[in-house]
Amino acid sequence: MSQIPDSKHMTATLGTRILGSVAVAAVLLMTLLGLVVSPEDLVQGHAVRMLYLHVPSIWIAYAAFVLTAASSVLFLIRSRSRADGGRHHDRLAGSAAEVGVLFAGITLVTGMLWGRVTWGTYWQWDARLTTTVLLFVTYLGYLALRRLPADPIVRGRRSAVMALISFVNVPIVHFSVDWWRTLHQKASLSVGRRPEITGEMYWTLLYSTLTVTVVASWLIVHRYRVIRLEELRDEEALNALIASRLREDDVGN
Amino acid sequence: MDLSPRHELGEPDELRRKVHRNRRWAVLAVTALLIAAAAFVTAQGLRNATLFFRNVDEAVEQRLELGDRRFRLQGRVVPSSVRSESGVTTFQIIHGCVVASVRHVADPPELFTSPWIPVVLEGGWTSGQVRTVAGADTHYFLSDRMLVKHTNEYASANDQRISEEPPHDFLDDCPFDVPAAKS
Amino acid sequence: MSDIAAVATGWGLTFVVVATYALWVVGRGKTIGRELGIGKRQELGPGSDSSTPASS
Repeated sequence: MSQIPDSKHMTATLGTRILGSVAVAAVLLMTLLGLVVSPEDLVQGHAVRMLYLHVPSIWIAYAAFVLTAASSVLFLIRSRSRADGGRHHDRLAGSAAEVGVLFAGITLVTGMLWGRVTWGTYWQWDARLTTTVLLFVTYLGYLALRRLPADPIVRGRRSAVMALISFVNVPIVHFSVDWWRTLHQKASLSVGRRPEITGEMYWTLLYSTLTVTVVASWLIVHRYRVIRLEELRDEEALNALIASRLREDDVGN
Repeated sequence: MDLSPRHELGEPDELRRKVHRNRRWAVLAVTALLIAAAAFVTAQGLRNATLFFRNVDEAVEQRLELGDRRFRLQGRVVPSSVRSESGVTTFQIIHGCVVASVRHVADPPELFTSPWIPVVLEGGWTSGQVRTVAGADTHYFLSDRMLVKHTNEYASANDQRISEEPPHDFLDDCPFDVPAAKS
Repeated sequence: MSDIAAVATGWGLTFVVVATYALWVVGRGKTIGRELGIGKRQELGPGSDSSTPASS
């Protein structure tokens, strides 16, 4: 999946270059569909075009946090039994969380702008908005924890536990609009429920969700590889230090 | 092989440790800030989030208990009742076949003009004789903040026109008639 | 803020943020790769776990 061909394309491979090209083309088409082809909403007018960014962004944030949680569980299970400490799972958790935070942030910003023109306010402390900002902040905390200097396996375990604690909030965010009274509307896309969206808008929303998924996948693969490179750099620095000490010992003897 | 720290290396080693310490403190400070932010958000959220608004029928039922307290009121705007005069908008909102008269003293959001739009108003009950589509009332709701609560229904503006009709089933079983909006 | 201004700001900000992040990730990969002196073929991705730097 992931050979690095040369230093010019450090984290790119044939696979990611194809994925990247597909992502760019898909984004162009998404822009065309979302901003030009899809119609204005009967009530909201052009403001409905925020739907095609806002809903896919939170969808991909949820998916990324699910990936982080699953990888964290696998890391906790395998870190004791594997020679490499199961660090593959730790890297996957970290890269997915970072992309998840990025899209959770986009969800908040697009939601605030959308709220300004429809609700008449950028922000309200209702259950959906409050739990979403809490989700964003806790995963920022997770990313901060990953940067604390410590033994990689110890740091990985601490982060994995934090990831699982943070994940508790994901279903709360999603179901908050059903559990409590909120200014925020109920879910626009739900499994097993007839969508209340006109055809062209519905298909544009589905297509945008697919496009954002492709973009996020590309980002996660690249971020994973950068984390691996960071580890290699740290190992290289350690090897160099040990080699220099060995040389000093040789000279001393 | 001696892997003990080399103090004789002096400054660069000392500097590295200092940078390492500073970085640890910086990350700890950021983490503490994030935890404080999370606590603030939770406190704010719990205070406001769970009972974000009362529906008209509940607010009317709890009128005595609510007194002149400030709260959020939710209902759909009766299109035929909207009047605007010198910065004051008066209208009626309805939920669960209970109607409240509203006197709103600020600019309403743009989407307020959509018929039967659900709104959330901030304000309180005020004494005063009013007439609504459901009959006479002894109180009206004095509001200074309005939020439009749009639904998750989307329809193309190309092939539909805004309906003046109330949402399906919304007025069924109500013991009064709501006059149609003037078009 | 008009609906068109909100949409333009939302879409514009999203593009800028995602593109900046993508460029940062790719740039960071290149920088660290150069530091490591990677120029030869090397396994790095999920499923492979070589811990030997390419040109150490």
